[in-house]
Amino acid sequence: MNCLEFRRRLGSEPASTLDSFIAHRAECFGCAAAHSRADEFEARLRRAVSVAVPVNLADRILLAQTTELRQGLRKRRRGFSTLILAAAASIVVAVLALQRPSQQMPALAAMVDAHLHKHVVTASEAQSEVARQDVIDTFAQRGVSLAAVPDGVNFVHKCPAGPYKTVHMVMPQEGIPVSVVYVVDAPPQSRVEFSRDGTYGREVPMGKGTLVMLAASSNGFDSIENAWKSAMDAGVAQNREVKTLFAAKSLPGAASWDWRTRVAAP
Amino acid sequence: MPVNSPMSSRQHQFEALVRGHSTDLYRYAYWLCGQDALAQDLVQDTFLRAWRALDKLREVGAVKAWLITILRREHARLFERKAMPSDDIDDFDLPDPQATPEHRTEESALRAAIGRLEAKYREPLVLQVIGGFSCAEIADQLGLGEAAVMTQLFRARQKLKGQLGFEDQSAGVSEL
Ligand SMILES: [Zn+2]
Ligand SMILES: [Zn+2]
Repeated sequence: MNCLEFRRRLGSEPASTLDSFIAHRAECFGCAAAHSRADEFEARLRRAVSVAVPVNLADRILLAQTTELRQGLRKRRRGFSTLILAAAASIVVAVLALQRPSQQMPALAAMVDAHLHKHVVTASEAQSEVARQDVIDTFAQRGVSLAAVPDGVNFVHKCPAGPYKTVHMVMPQEGIPVSVVYVVDAPPQSRVEFSRDGTYGREVPMGKGTLVMLAASSNGFDSIENAWKSAMDAGVAQNREVKTLFAAKSLPGAASWDWRTRVAAP
Repeated sequence: MPVNSPMSSRQHQFEALVRGHSTDLYRYAYWLCGQDALAQDLVQDTFLRAWRALDKLREVGAVKAWLITILRREHARLFERKAMPSDDIDDFDLPDPQATPEHRTEESALRAAIGRLEAKYREPLVLQVIGGFSCAEIADQLGLGEAAVMTQLFRARQKLKGQLGFEDQSAGVSEL
């Protein structure tokens, strides 16, 4: 191995155990010095790559495996994130979760849920209604055109959920904040309702994306779903009179919704 | 509940597998997808698949590579309709380093730089640094030639050093 070959190998495989690599390092002062500098960088690289591993990861995997064994689930659902949510591997809670496999969160909702745990919207941030134009603009930035905006969006932000792009909203219903997250670009999901450990959720395919609602109560879900469905429909049917379209639909709790067209928005 | 029932040797083997490899696998998954919860899902799915296919595992030395292969397949399955947003670095969910304060800034900068690397550079690098695989083994994993992998690893390091302003000891290569 000559110096050039050595440096190439050093840049691509600094821990190489090739005989010729080791031999060259022993006989070439310049390359030996380069090797110790590379070692330093490798140590930094190792530290940087070694991200913290979630506590009890192995235990939770083993728990999931014994769950699968015991229940012989044919179609297992992705529910790890929900187990984390349940409690830091508290056996009691985990065992409860085992007994209610149908109540696991679907994958997309779990990603949304994970996001909500990182991005906690404070009460003061969601105190009052945001401008409709902000909602329209945020959706537009995600490539979704809205012709109308449901009443009562108190927070709106572009956020990720797993690898997907979303619009993260908060829409309080009867005093309970409902996290309403429109996932723009995930593969189509089927409609599903779930609840676990006091969190209620619903996943609804809508437009080209999916609307995910999570809250401490499912009471407001129907009206939020209907409201967004109408808003999305209106977005598709751009040339139709939006108000007429809404008037034709009977929304549960329609009285509490105030519809405006895009043109009429502030 | 059969908590105290004697474990089968298969169960023992599986438990050893999980305890021995979940850390590396999680880190690999994390750098593959950039999301903590998703990485955990991937690792869990990988081990559950491994459990079902445990009989196919023969050589002890090949365990890690086998698990990585399963994980890559799980990841691909999940993302077959969805390219990772490698341009969208805001979506790369970087944890805080646990290093001592003097290392912390540098470590976060390096982490962010790794997160910004294109997947084709990041993946072989992570396989090498975490998995301890040789260029030949990485080439095997990724279905690439060894020379191509060497080039990607070389460039990955150059890019990181370049972004962080580290002195690049490889800069002189072309003059040698
Ligand atoms: Zn030399
Ligand atoms: Zn958010």
